[in-house]
Amino acid sequence: MKRSITDPFHAISDPSRREMLMLLSKDSMSINSLANNFDMSRPAVSKHIKVLYSSGFISIEDIGRERYCILNQEGFTQLQEWINYFDEFWNSKLKKLEILLQQKSKDQK
Amino acid sequence: MKKEIIQTWHFPHPPEVIWEYLTTPELLAQWLMKNDFKAEVGHKFQFNAEPRVKVGFDGIIYCEVLKIIPNQFLSYSWKGGPGKGKITLDSVVSWTLTAKDGGTELLLEHKGFKGVGNFITYLIMNKGWAVKVKGRLTDLLKTIDHEA
Repeated sequence: MKRSITDPFHAISDPSRREMLMLLSKDSMSINSLANNFDMSRPAVSKHIKVLYSSGFISIEDIGRERYCILNQEGFTQLQEWINYFDEFWNSKLKKLEILLQQKSKDQK
Repeated sequence: MKKEIIQTWHFPHPPEVIWEYLTTPELLAQWLMKNDFKAEVGHKFQFNAEPRVKVGFDGIIYCEVLKIIPNQFLSYSWKGGPGKGKITLDSVVSWTLTAKDGGTELLLEHKGFKGVGNFITYLIMNKGWAVKVKGRLTDLLKTIDHEA
């Protein structure tokens, strides 16, 4: 499966996908046994798995005759990077505001 | 794991001045981003930022004013995505202004990243999962090797 990049926020915005990740955080599961936990068609399950895979939340490995979904750190790291990005974004913007306001005070003096 | 952003800043100016810089489009553009903001609840506006194509963000932030208390509080939704109106990032930005020490304490909160909060809390409570899962897999692979 080709790994394209999917926004991690998109991946976890869906409740079924969040539930899949929670199940997988307890143990790796074959696609079949994962699908048994959900009341949806197999193609629908496959679609969700594809999104989780492409956003780096899981990896897929063949073990014996079954395909296994395994939780992967990358998706979580990306999520964290996004939040850190915004933290830094606001920090630099507010610093700019601070300079702007200092300038304003000087001009008035 | 951090799931939201909270920053506190102090400025030696009264809240009225800070409020101007948060709500006047021309002033806002000088420190934040180009925008078509209007201080009206329900007003939809946009910020234009640098695109981050790699992670699916086209640089346009779609906002809607949620709450206004002049000189005290302002909040708006903050949504973005890879383009064509598709939204994947769904969050809320709020500003709280408090008069303090002859100036203003400005509290910025950027949170409510849809789906992230509950999920990260869950992961924090189950930390160590990564190691555990990997260990189990290795064991499983060993078993299969032996059986083969």
